[in-house]
Amino acid sequence: MTAVATPARAQQQTSFLDPAVLARIGNLELLAKTVVEGFINGLHRSPHLGASTDFAEHRSYMPGDDIRRIDWRLYARSDRYFMKEYEAETNTNFRVVLDVSPSMRYGASSQDNRLSKLTYSCYLAACLTYFSSLQRDRIGLATIDGDLVDYVPPSAKHLQQILHALDRTDRKATAATTAAPATSRAKSQLLPPLRKLSETVRRRSIVAVISDFYEDPNDVLDALSYLRGRGNDMIVFHVLDPRELEFPFTDTGNFIDMETGERMPVIPEYLRKQYRELINDHTATLAKRMGEQRIDYSLFDTSKPLDKALFTYLGARQRFNRVR
Amino acid sequence: MNFLAPAFLAALAAISVPVIIHLIHRERKTVVEFPSLMFLQKIPSRSVRRQKLRHLLLLALRCLALALLVSAFARPFFERQRAAAGGLTGAREVVVLLDRSASMGYSDRWTRARDAAKKAVSGLTATDRATLVLFATDASVASEPMATPDRVAAAIGAAKLSSEGTRYGPALKLASQITSASNLPRKEVVLISDFQTIGWSGSKHDEVVLPSGTKLTPVDIGGGSTPDAAVSQVTTERSATGDRDQVTVGARITNLGAAQRKVRATLEVGGRSVQSTEATIPGRSAQQVSFLPIAIPSGATRGSVSITPDSLTEDDVLNFTIAPDASVSVLVVEPSSPRANQSLYLSRALAIGDRPSFRVDVKRIDALTPADMDGRALVVLNEVTPPSGAVGARLRSMVSTGGGVVLIPGDQTVERWPTEWRQLLPAQVGDLVDRSGEAGGTLSSVDYAHPVFELFNAPRSGDFSTARFYRYRRLLARGDTGVVARFDDGFPAMIERSVGSGKVVLWASTMDSHWSNLNLQPVFLPFVHQLARHVGRYADPRPWFTAGEVLDLSRHGELTTKFTQGRGADSASELILDSPSGNRDRVTATGAAHLVTLREQGFYELRGPDTPVGSGRPIAVNIDPAESDLSHLDPQELVAAATTASVQRDAGIDANAATREEQERRQKLWWYLLLGALLVLAVETAVSNRLSRVTT
Repeated sequence: MTAVATPARAQQQTSFLDPAVLARIGNLELLAKTVVEGFINGLHRSPHLGASTDFAEHRSYMPGDDIRRIDWRLYARSDRYFMKEYEAETNTNFRVVLDVSPSMRYGASSQDNRLSKLTYSCYLAACLTYFSSLQRDRIGLATIDGDLVDYVPPSAKHLQQILHALDRTDRKATAATTAAPATSRAKSQLLPPLRKLSETVRRRSIVAVISDFYEDPNDVLDALSYLRGRGNDMIVFHVLDPRELEFPFTDTGNFIDMETGERMPVIPEYLRKQYRELINDHTATLAKRMGEQRIDYSLFDTSKPLDKALFTYLGARQRFNRVR
Repeated sequence: MNFLAPAFLAALAAISVPVIIHLIHRERKTVVEFPSLMFLQKIPSRSVRRQKLRHLLLLALRCLALALLVSAFARPFFERQRAAAGGLTGAREVVVLLDRSASMGYSDRWTRARDAAKKAVSGLTATDRATLVLFATDASVASEPMATPDRVAAAIGAAKLSSEGTRYGPALKLASQITSASNLPRKEVVLISDFQTIGWSGSKHDEVVLPSGTKLTPVDIGGGSTPDAAVSQVTTERSATGDRDQVTVGARITNLGAAQRKVRATLEVGGRSVQSTEATIPGRSAQQVSFLPIAIPSGATRGSVSITPDSLTEDDVLNFTIAPDASVSVLVVEPSSPRANQSLYLSRALAIGDRPSFRVDVKRIDALTPADMDGRALVVLNEVTPPSGAVGARLRSMVSTGGGVVLIPGDQTVERWPTEWRQLLPAQVGDLVDRSGEAGGTLSSVDYAHPVFELFNAPRSGDFSTARFYRYRRLLARGDTGVVARFDDGFPAMIERSVGSGKVVLWASTMDSHWSNLNLQPVFLPFVHQLARHVGRYADPRPWFTAGEVLDLSRHGELTTKFTQGRGADSASELILDSPSGNRDRVTATGAAHLVTLREQGFYELRGPDTPVGSGRPIAVNIDPAESDLSHLDPQELVAAATTASVQRDAGIDANAATREEQERRQKLWWYLLLGALLVLAVETAVSNRLSRVTT
């Protein structure tokens, strides 16, 4: 096994990269490379993870098992069929499920170089897929907005498609944000696209879900359970803009729901305290419930460096390996 | 509720400002795109609604404060009096204004006027109150104020005509006061008069406005054709024939009627008919009638010119007095060994006088006796030491009872003067100022308002600056009191002081060429005349006075001198004045009772306490000549002017400003509104502070 530095230590040794600075790169591959290689350099070790092909155990043949995995030598000795089981797959599937619903477009500001949640999430997805491709994992992408929008099946050769799909999604969302205000529409839900996605998953994967999760925690868990129930390892990146957490607004105004177009007059000073309590309860509930479901949950605000996400991913991979 | 300044209510439009701001503020709410309202919608909406309600409460408070402020500035008031007056029921306050001027004696006007007055109060009930005001030149309450109707009727029966003129202003003002003070709901003023135009034309109409709601009812006794002839003027022309003075009496007779009139004019002197003549006077014109000259009686004598009596008898006779020429007796006292011509200029200047004539005697101090003071109006002590002893006492007595002394100290040593004289001096007499080396001093400051110098006030009426004063005594006056003229070095040239009823004047230089050349200046003669007239208290005698006129005895020495000369200051000034109707008044030549109103037509008689009746000084009094002008005024014109405010206000015009202002001032509602506005603003501040605390 390859020795790996602990993420915490690596985080201390790595200079964090500001997402706003990365946004100037404009090329997702270069961006992902910059982030990932900077991250790898900080580890000081080669990151060949999960490449083990060690034998684990034998088990009795069950009808339907692949006859290619029968240990014929043991059959010769014992005249019984045994199947060979290995410790881990050499290469795993890594899927990124990216929420591209209108609410994810929030947060873009050219004045203070802030990124929208979607842009940040695209960077994050690019980094994760690039990092996984370095490990020769099969990488795939699914963008969802109430339904499957874009789907790139897992493959070791699909990095360019994925980066292209992410870039297209980001540009499309930016154009939609600047062109037209929110119009009335149905609120997007996680359940339908994730259920549909789970049907395509034939092989255990590591699934990274990137969303703002503006749904009831029960609904979120129900949606995730479709993927989790298929034996996938789940990593959830809850991406929020700092303003969604702090609610720093001062002027009274009409707040428009970016998902549904619904309007509501709001006096921020009066509602700030209660809003903060509600959003904190929401994130805490999600973290707790997902922890119970062995889903790795991380809350990100778009001001946090992207390599922090890689540490989170790396830590999750380690945990998955230990558990297994 | 009414408003004194309703224009301010336009500022109520300002209330729309916070409302508009509120609305604009709502419309301009910023639109914020937010990922999801999921959490915001979970917050109980009632809080937001309450917030809205609180903002609405704030808006309402601000609008209310603004409305209260605007209302306060508009000065609101409740018009209670008008509401009360508007009622046709309730007790009445009736003021009967009864004209008793001389013109009311025309024909049967006075009888009709009294009947009208009685009729005005006859319909009153026991709860009503009435006041009878008799007016002519002045107005007075003839009954008890606000008396019962029967007492007023009795007062009407006792009312008598006067000889005075007509003035409606004082009567209406008095009626206004009475009705204003009354708390009865209905107020009425009944004006009974012949409505002479002359009685209203001079009035200040603004001052005779009756209170709002007061009903003014005119009862016109006059009007119609009023033919009348009157003796409007009498002139007396004096002339001298041999050693006897004569007077020629002329009379001006006016025919105020349209038709030509033939009258017989009769001159009476001393109660006897002396001459009579006939004259034919065309309509609306006047004619002068002259009588033959008559000898001037020895004393003041009553005279009158009368014509054939007509409808108005009061103006058919004009009384006057004929008195011998009242010359001013002047005694000039000079030293026992005078300079040459020391009193020459003074005595010659006074001797030239004609109106009045001055009877001048020059005597040396050592030849002076107490009898020399008898009948003197003025004594000039020309550079002599004032006499002491009996002569001095007599002279001082003369001064205190109305005579005058001009003191010219010259180079006398004043410290040696008798103490009693030094006490009479208006100023301390100091050193001799010799300015002969510098071409003399001049008079630089003269009080032209003083009777001595008022003659020279007009331009080119005399120049005192050409007179040079080479020497004079330095007079040390106590302040500016009594200083009439000053030299160019600031020292007084002439100082005056009143002593009892008389005057003492101190002259710093001399009246001859010894110390000045004033005696050679053109102004010397009028100056000396004015000085003698003033100090000798001479006034032009008036042949008659007008009824209603106030006689100031202190200014008419010719009337009182006969009775005050030679008497002490304490008792002699008290005189008796008998009126034509026999009323007797105690008056004084000066002091508290020197003013007396001559109300009756005829001859008053002024006499001393010891003077027998009939031996006193007659004073002729006639009715106001204007009373003969019976031009008629439209009563409605007067009513309209006196009740302008009520009428205009009823027409919706803000006119009765004075009364409305009084009501507004009395009620002071603006003060409460302002206080309310402050309270509302305080509540608004508290609510907004509380809201801001809650939201942060």
